[in-house]
Amino acid sequence: MTVSRPSSDRLRVGLDAAVREFVREPINVALLVVLPPVVITSYESMLSAFPRLPYMTTDPGALGATAGTLFVAAFLPAVIGLFQVISAQRADERLSLAGFPELALFVSRLGAVCLATLLTAALSLGVLATTTEVESLALGFLTLAFVGGLYGLIGMLIGTVLPRELEGSLVLIFVVDVDEALASGVIATDAAATKLFPLHYPHEVFQAAVDGTAPAATDVLAAATYGAIVLVATFLVYTALAATGGGGG
Amino acid sequence: MTERIVGTERPESESEPTAGDRDVVLRGSDLAKTYSSRLPFGRSVEVLTGASVTIRRGEVVGIVGGNGSGKSTLMKILVGELDADEGTVDVNGRVGWCPQDELLYDRLTVEETFRLFGEAYGMDPTEIESARDRLAETLDFEEFLDYRIDRLSGGNRQKINLSIALMHDPDVLLLDEPYTGFDWETYLAFWDLTAALRERGTAVAIISHLINEQERFDRILELADGTLTDVTDEGSSQAGEEGVR
Repeated sequence: MTVSRPSSDRLRVGLDAAVREFVREPINVALLVVLPPVVITSYESMLSAFPRLPYMTTDPGALGATAGTLFVAAFLPAVIGLFQVISAQRADERLSLAGFPELALFVSRLGAVCLATLLTAALSLGVLATTTEVESLALGFLTLAFVGGLYGLIGMLIGTVLPRELEGSLVLIFVVDVDEALASGVIATDAAATKLFPLHYPHEVFQAAVDGTAPAATDVLAAATYGAIVLVATFLVYTALAATGGGGG
Repeated sequence: MTERIVGTERPESESEPTAGDRDVVLRGSDLAKTYSSRLPFGRSVEVLTGASVTIRRGEVVGIVGGNGSGKSTLMKILVGELDADEGTVDVNGRVGWCPQDELLYDRLTVEETFRLFGEAYGMDPTEIESARDRLAETLDFEEFLDYRIDRLSGGNRQKINLSIALMHDPDVLLLDEPYTGFDWETYLAFWDLTAALRERGTAVAIISHLINEQERFDRILELADGTLTDVTDEGSSQAGEEGVR
């Protein structure tokens, strides 16, 4: 009976199941819809109260709106990535033991994260566009989608090595917050280490999209390289730790 | 790490199997497992210290043991979910595993669950549908096929858990406390199903903390102090072929 099935069929069924699981949790959908406007307007109003400090190149209110947009576009997919891995961990192990390929399992989980990423990116950009003029909506959307995918993978990575919902969420909120604060220029620092944070280069590209200038090729290349490294690292760790193979089922 | 030999993977250097060996569908040899603490000064727990078990085609084997004796650990090692520190597991055929906790996706329907696991087993849609309908009729959950797993009662979830382990017609079925939550009718249906599987040559190993109806089993092994002892003949304290190391 157990003949080899095309991997595309397994991938389709796995993706379909992961997406159904995701959208059937009302809190997931509610968070995706409610949090972007709340976070972006909060960041904007908080930073509007700031004086324009000498090292700031932008008006603090606009800076806050941009920072809030990047934060929410990164944080929501990150948390969803975390929960995608943790909530289904043991069932995924059983599915893997039954013969479901690890690559298909990984892509299925990532597929649900990508869906959340696209929704968050579109909504966040829409909210930002109501307060700030975004010169290149296409580049802005692509950058936010990239940021969501990048942090979605980081969420999956953290969920794999630290499979605890509370602790994992705390790590993510801290990392994304610090990352965006450093990338946005709210905090004046020239430390080279800031360039190692995930949002450093995407922030530059996103700012170019808002300003309507051409993004620096080096920023785009560095962001893409960073994304590729995180993708490979997450896949390797996920297949080594989260899903195991065998002959059971 | 457990050395796991599946089907035709047997090294050429090994001798040809005897007629008796050919009936063996699952063999765990000298399995040892210790859970070590990751924290300094934490306590390590030695669970298995050389447990051996051989399961043959068409037999129903009960594995009993007290709470914390390592029954579920043994089961996880046999199915490949967990690696033993020492020992080998030799699998000759398809394995079906029904874990003690229902490892299912809460927000998928019963039908979607069958489709997903059927794909994992490599079954085509017609085979999946046929297995689903057959098991739904046998275990009486036809009316719940459109229900989400998290909206089923505990007993019905356990029926799905069992059915997923059975849907690909395994050669050996490993069941960890399978009838928890079953009502009387389902309990009887479970044993009818087990009898039918045995007729077809499927080996069934049932792990439980309590075995009430000894006559339903061909052999009963007791897991105690990290090893397995054959206690089929009640009162006998002698180790059977599984041996105490």
